[in-house]
Amino acid sequence: MATDLGAIEAQLNQAFPGAVIDRDGDWLVIEASRLPTVAQYLRDEMGYDWLTHLSASDYPDRFEVVYNLYSSRPDQQGPGIPFKVRVPDKANPHVPSLTSIWKSADFQEREVWDMFGIRFDGHPNLKRILLWEGFAGHPLRKDWHEPYYEQEHKPFPSRWPHAQQPKPRSAEERVRWRANVQYPQGFDPDQWKPVPEIDVLPAAKIDLNGLETDQVYVNIGPQHPSTHGVLRMIVGLNGETVTSIYPVLGHLHRNHEKIGERNLWTGIIPYTDRLDYVCPMYNNFGYVVAVERLMGQEVPERAEYLRVIMGELTRVINHLLAIGFQFNELGAMFTPMIYAFTEREHVLDLFEEASGARMMVNYYRFGGVARDVSDDWLKRCRKVVDRLDRKIDEFDTMLSDNEIFIARARGVGAMSWQEMVNYGVTGPVLRSAGLKYDIRKVEPYSIYDTFDFEVPTFETGDIYDRYRQRMAEARESVKILRQALDRIPARGPIQAGKKPWNPKVPAGELYSRVEHPKGELGFYLVSDGGTNPYRYHVRSPSFVNLGALEAMSVGHLFADAIVILGSIDITLGEVDR
Amino acid sequence: MDWVTDFWIPVIKAIVVVLALLVGGAYMTWGERKLCARFQVRYGPNRAGPFGILQPLADAVKAIFKEEIVPHHVDKAIYLMSPGISFAAVLITFAVIPFGPQIDLLGRQIGLWIGDLQVGLLYLLAIAGLGSYGIVLGGWSSNNKYSLLGALRATAQMISYELPMGLALLSVVVLAGTLNLNRIVDFQGQWPLIVWQPLGFLIFFIAILAESNRSPFDLPETENELISGFMTEYGGIKFALYFIAEYTAMVVNSAIVATLFLGGWKWPAVLSNLHPLAGVALFLAKVLVVLFLYVWVRASCPRVRYDKFMRFCWKFLMPLAWVNLAVTAVIVALI
Repeated sequence: MATDLGAIEAQLNQAFPGAVIDRDGDWLVIEASRLPTVAQYLRDEMGYDWLTHLSASDYPDRFEVVYNLYSSRPDQQGPGIPFKVRVPDKANPHVPSLTSIWKSADFQEREVWDMFGIRFDGHPNLKRILLWEGFAGHPLRKDWHEPYYEQEHKPFPSRWPHAQQPKPRSAEERVRWRANVQYPQGFDPDQWKPVPEIDVLPAAKIDLNGLETDQVYVNIGPQHPSTHGVLRMIVGLNGETVTSIYPVLGHLHRNHEKIGERNLWTGIIPYTDRLDYVCPMYNNFGYVVAVERLMGQEVPERAEYLRVIMGELTRVINHLLAIGFQFNELGAMFTPMIYAFTEREHVLDLFEEASGARMMVNYYRFGGVARDVSDDWLKRCRKVVDRLDRKIDEFDTMLSDNEIFIARARGVGAMSWQEMVNYGVTGPVLRSAGLKYDIRKVEPYSIYDTFDFEVPTFETGDIYDRYRQRMAEARESVKILRQALDRIPARGPIQAGKKPWNPKVPAGELYSRVEHPKGELGFYLVSDGGTNPYRYHVRSPSFVNLGALEAMSVGHLFADAIVILGSIDITLGEVDR
Repeated sequence: MDWVTDFWIPVIKAIVVVLALLVGGAYMTWGERKLCARFQVRYGPNRAGPFGILQPLADAVKAIFKEEIVPHHVDKAIYLMSPGISFAAVLITFAVIPFGPQIDLLGRQIGLWIGDLQVGLLYLLAIAGLGSYGIVLGGWSSNNKYSLLGALRATAQMISYELPMGLALLSVVVLAGTLNLNRIVDFQGQWPLIVWQPLGFLIFFIAILAESNRSPFDLPETENELISGFMTEYGGIKFALYFIAEYTAMVVNSAIVATLFLGGWKWPAVLSNLHPLAGVALFLAKVLVVLFLYVWVRASCPRVRYDKFMRFCWKFLMPLAWVNLAVTAVIVALI
């Protein structure tokens, strides 16, 4: 069920003759110079107000910058408009920036600049975002090779001892350590100094009744108790009031996407576990759904049920953990967090038995799941679900009416859903501000359309509503889990056809999204018909949601900024990729 | 001058009390970790000795043998002095607290207190303010933004909680009619003051939570925002000194609560009359109860934001303390 792209194309052609220059599969190709006007028109006149995904890919003769627009209007929710811009000038690629129309473009355009070296004209702060300034080149270009480059993609002959005789020497043997490390021209790593905060943020002079003072900058992270990993935030303070926040990302960057492009389609599945290490099952889910859409693969019923069960268990524990960490940041000394972790252990026991691993599960496969579960497992799963239900109530009794919590959470970090949509915020944070938008409902995948569940929403989007939102969503997940456990077929295949060890994926290009516990998890895949992806991009919810952090925090106190960060619920494995 | 009564006995008493406080503070760390663990469905320390009972020793040994690091950007003299100020202020607070009756030892009458000060309560209030200097100076001299914010918060916090605390104590003075802590304990032979002053007790308890920088008012420290607040730059034995000062302060503050509101060593008189040492045991039991409250609060409550805490102190706690004092005074005048 795609949107009627033909009608949209016709409408655009009428409004801007010649702006849509081509139709590439499901994608409209828009002329680069008219991109901002067309985008403005799409947002204001046609209601596609939501730029959730922006990335690029590198072809031999051109770059393509791809955009995915969705709509928050109730009648247009569902499939959106995918369009792209071709950049034939590979030596000096330029595209107009969309940051003035969508603030969600800010981080994602910076990422594209970082990875592809495509300049976005009009971007206010086009700096590297995931890599540091001493990095040579733009790694997702096809002609960029990593230090131990061996071949375009796996399987590498050196790692495949029986395939060739004699065994070729591996890249590590051929290239000595350091011999292959490159720096940009004119860059001397020994002279390098970290950029002082004053250069990143403008030094504001604060006038306090004629008393002139300087802005105080506080570095939070990358080593700090409350940054959920290795996030660095440069916080400008006036007294204890936050005047600006500049997140510095990339401390955990491992170029997940290049690894994916070197890898086989199947080989990426375990890597997706490491994206958001709190919900590995759902990352698997999002990835296999995307590849199955490309392959046109069907999934047997029992496998679908298992997928939903695993996915919703993940959602419950993610939300409980998020609440636990939230209270940790509020200074509740670990008690709610450890309660949440106790519940997580029970779920992880189930994961361990089903998949063999507690966190790095590697469980989903194209057209099914890796292993079946026993009847006993299902029985115990039901017990865990009953227990989770009770525990959610317990959390509710323990936390919801806490005076100190309410005093600290009410009105803090509030943002209207319209603004959140502009920032590309998705998931529980967005729904807590009042927009009823859940990809499981508006663009159902797997068998979510057969379940009976609600999409809870709240009004203000402050920290207290986000907390209640997570609680309500966990309850809905328990509802789904109950139904799934009731209806799962007792026997049946868990894999369509043979196990796909090394499948070839038909040539094509798509952006596929699922409702990850943290928001919209999207995969942009380009296949050339081979055994590995030509382009593999992860649109991670944490990364885009983080873009709204500054707007949510400015004007609040330093202590609140930490709590707001926690309430967005980010995982750095997914932010930095 | 009788050297034994006027010099040796006070000195020995002081040494015993200081040692007891140190051990108490050290074991408070153990007790808190153990209790918090139980609140959080964990075991807590259980490796060093049975029930982890040797854990404080192990911690102390570790802290003492750590390398002594003084960051180059600190104001060295003040930086090194500050943990000592905190620690000393805590220890000398205990000087006026009676922890038992007068006992007969080797033919001498020995009172189980160090100093029987006529203005004991004033002394308590005066010394209570001193501890903050250790925090403020430590945070300021560290020359670190986190420490500075912690120190600023400590200052703001101190001026907020001191007033309700003093007012709550004033109602005790109005009732007991004396500033001498021994007399206050004697006054509570029949009923402990908490019966007449439940509100005063609550206000005072909240204030001492803030005074010992304990959750939910651990604002100068606030691990989740300021890493360790004022003691971010401290390591090794200097950190341990701050740490033990905090826990000893909890013990001392609990002793103050026990003395002023829970009847000290005297109430219930039926028990404390049995044997002189029964009084000491009663006193200890009350201190432990208050310490348990401390840990219970910490394991249950999120932290109050510091501006909200100040608002709470000035706009709610202080008027409440005034009303409490006024009502007490009127009733005492009428009866």
